[in-house]
Amino acid sequence: MIQSNNPFPPERLLQLDDVNVHFPMREGLVKAVNGVSYHINRGEVLGIVGESGSGKSVTARSIMRLQPKQALDAGGSIRFRRKSGQEVLISSEDRQSSTMRDLRGNEIGMIFQEPMTALSPVHTIGTQIMRTVMLHRNVSKADARARAIELLTKVQMPRPNDIVDRYPHHLSGGMRQRAMIALALACDPTLLIADEPTTALDVTTEAQILHLLKSLQQELGMAIVFITHNFGVVADIADRVAVMYLGRVVETGTVDEIFYEPKHPYTQALLRSIPKLGGQKARRLKTIAGSVPDPFNVPDGCSFHPRCMRAVGGVCNVTAPPEVRFPSGQMSRCHFAEEFRSEAAE
Amino acid sequence: MTVTSEKAMPMQDDTLISVRGVKKYFPVHGGWLRKKIGEVKAVDDITFDIKKGETFGLVGESGSGKSSIARLILRAYDLTDGEILFRRANGSIVDITSLGDREMREIRREMQMIFQDPYSSLNPRMTILDLVGEPLTIHGVGSPSEIEDRVAELLRLVGLRPEYVARYPHAFSGGQRQRIGIARALALNPSFIAADEAVSALDVSVAAQNINLLQDLQEQLGLTYLFITHDLGMVEHISDRIGVMYLGRLMEVGPTEEMFSKPLHPYTEALLAAVPQPDPRGNRERKRVALKGEIADAMNIPTGCPFHPRCPYADAKCRAEVPALRSVAGGRQVRCHYAESLDLTGVAAQ
Ligand SMILES: Nc1ncnc2c1ncn2[C@@H]1O[C@H](COP(=O)(O)OP(=O)(O)OP(=O)(O)O)[C@@H](O)[C@H]1O
Ligand SMILES: Nc1ncnc2c1ncn2[C@@H]1O[C@H](COP(=O)(O)OP(=O)(O)O)[C@@H](O)[C@H]1O
Ligand code: SF4
Ligand code: SF4
Ligand SMILES: [Mg+2]
Ligand SMILES: [Mg+2]
Repeated sequence: MIQSNNPFPPERLLQLDDVNVHFPMREGLVKAVNGVSYHINRGEVLGIVGESGSGKSVTARSIMRLQPKQALDAGGSIRFRRKSGQEVLISSEDRQSSTMRDLRGNEIGMIFQEPMTALSPVHTIGTQIMRTVMLHRNVSKADARARAIELLTKVQMPRPNDIVDRYPHHLSGGMRQRAMIALALACDPTLLIADEPTTALDVTTEAQILHLLKSLQQELGMAIVFITHNFGVVADIADRVAVMYLGRVVETGTVDEIFYEPKHPYTQALLRSIPKLGGQKARRLKTIAGSVPDPFNVPDGCSFHPRCMRAVGGVCNVTAPPEVRFPSGQMSRCHFAEEFRSEAAE
Repeated sequence: MTVTSEKAMPMQDDTLISVRGVKKYFPVHGGWLRKKIGEVKAVDDITFDIKKGETFGLVGESGSGKSSIARLILRAYDLTDGEILFRRANGSIVDITSLGDREMREIRREMQMIFQDPYSSLNPRMTILDLVGEPLTIHGVGSPSEIEDRVAELLRLVGLRPEYVARYPHAFSGGQRQRIGIARALALNPSFIAADEAVSALDVSVAAQNINLLQDLQEQLGLTYLFITHDLGMVEHISDRIGVMYLGRLMEVGPTEEMFSKPLHPYTEALLAAVPQPDPRGNRERKRVALKGEIADAMNIPTGCPFHPRCPYADAKCRAEVPALRSVAGGRQVRCHYAESLDLTGVAAQ
């Protein structure tokens, strides 16, 4: 694997440079992740938004080195700064390497949409947290149990002393989500990867979990990569945002830049198509023409061009746009990004 | 055909469906002999009207009884108590809860449902022609060639190419499958469609297209919708009036704009406050107090007002007395002892 030449400044926790993950399928090659670059600094919340199939989850799993068996690593680098300050090139580690096993759980935690993918149905919540704690820390059983109760308290689980001895199926959806967060936090990770953790929840429970994650992030100073397809959620939790489309990051910026000065036509169009609560009562929603192409037929040039209102024939359908960078750090992968400089979203 | 029962109040002229005092209790079995150990009051004493040509939205947390209401109206469930009046296309009014199977079969042509999951609600081994034409075949409407013509017409109506009739569902995207489901629901010219989380599984851009389609069809065909969703932004956009459910009961009913700008029930206020908006500055400024606790277990509904354990305004009266759903000014209904004196916050129009 090629070591990226991009700098890796000291505040940097994680950096992806031109990451590619492909799936060879009968119908052709799926470039699920097709040159993704993003980074996250210590203590920061990075929101990743995009429609389904845009590659959000595959990218997250390759950070953990937990890609599906048939996935092909097709280049790029993923670097991570350990608690010790030492830099690891994750992209050259194997799924089962001792470094990865140590990183997972000890330095990088992960939570999912469906808590039962992380929780075992046949062990109590307490046993599962204790096991993780004892795997990474040299502590007694009693101390590990005390730590489990402390973690359940920290995630605001009701009746932690009782819940510690319960099985996941005794808990409600929101409580399972809290248990999974407690498990992910067991060893004070510096990075939490959260893949649609509130998508299956009611708005009220979602608000509780978002509030919890924000307060934990502030208290523990950990960074969060927060993956969602919900623009409301990302507006609520993220400091910076990366927007993905068909395996690529098409725009990145601070949360305010993305919502108030989007510089990519896809971001602009998506923001216009969401019905806002208390928003103007237009009878029709603005839409984006067509639908996300299937991954075997990714359009040439700019992959968004068949759906783009701004597309220019002879340019957009021929040449892939470069990453256009603005002084603020905002990036848009569009030939005409400069023209949206002062244009605010409607 | 059954006529309105004597005890019932007549239905108002602009009303298509009148749900009156409807209850649905499910028995819960457990223990050694699988004896009945209790019941889930999935729907408890629900009363509301759906007007002709309107979209009535139903919102509320998971398990609050939204889907159960839709199933009761379509008689997929038998009800425990109450009556549901329906104005037929021929003008007669029937209480669908008292109909026999044969009569119900007739009524079903006029009421249809579209579902959340466009992947599992279509049989993968049937072609689009068979799927969309099936309701016609079942009801013996038309010859094979007439059915083919009708299917082509229906596909055009939902924005799909009629040439696709020989394809199978897997060849379509999620949004297109949803449209196939809509075409199928329209086959028998219903007057009423219940859409249960119909766009919840779709991507933002595709959901917007399909919502526009549903609104166009409503205008063209004079349809009436019951629209069930978790998405408060979507329900605000599409609904003329909204009912807010909590633990099997309606907490508030009223016109969308009035309700969302000035809710009368503390639960409505809490739901609106919980929604994260695609507006980072607004989210930072808004005071968003997360609602405490979780929805109660439907088998152990709290005494008094079912919302009291989570309500920031609850007092001793709330813990003891069940508030009734009562009518207040502006064509609104609310189930709270203090609806008039509370000054609740909604979402400001921008
Ligand atoms: N067939 C059934 N047997 C027993 N209980 C049922 C049945 N159907 C629904 N319930 C119960 O009735 C209550 C209401 O369920 P319902 O499916 O109507 O909720 P909902 O509001 O549609 O929820 P969601 O938002 O999750 O779809 C729940 O407590 C549910 O567990
Ligand atoms: N195990 C797999 N085998 C083949 N293709 C896959 C696999 N997992 C994901 N993909 C494909 O990779 C692309 C990106 O998927 P994913 O990262 O899950 O999207 P997102 O999380 O953004 O919804 C999609 O086209 C998806 O179908
Ligand atoms: S490069 Fe062209 S097609 Fe792509 S987003 Fe920009 S204007 Fe649209
Ligand atoms: S009746 Fe009491 S507990 Fe119930 S919503 Fe009103 S104020 Fe709250
Ligand atoms: Mg995903
Ligand atoms: Mg439901």
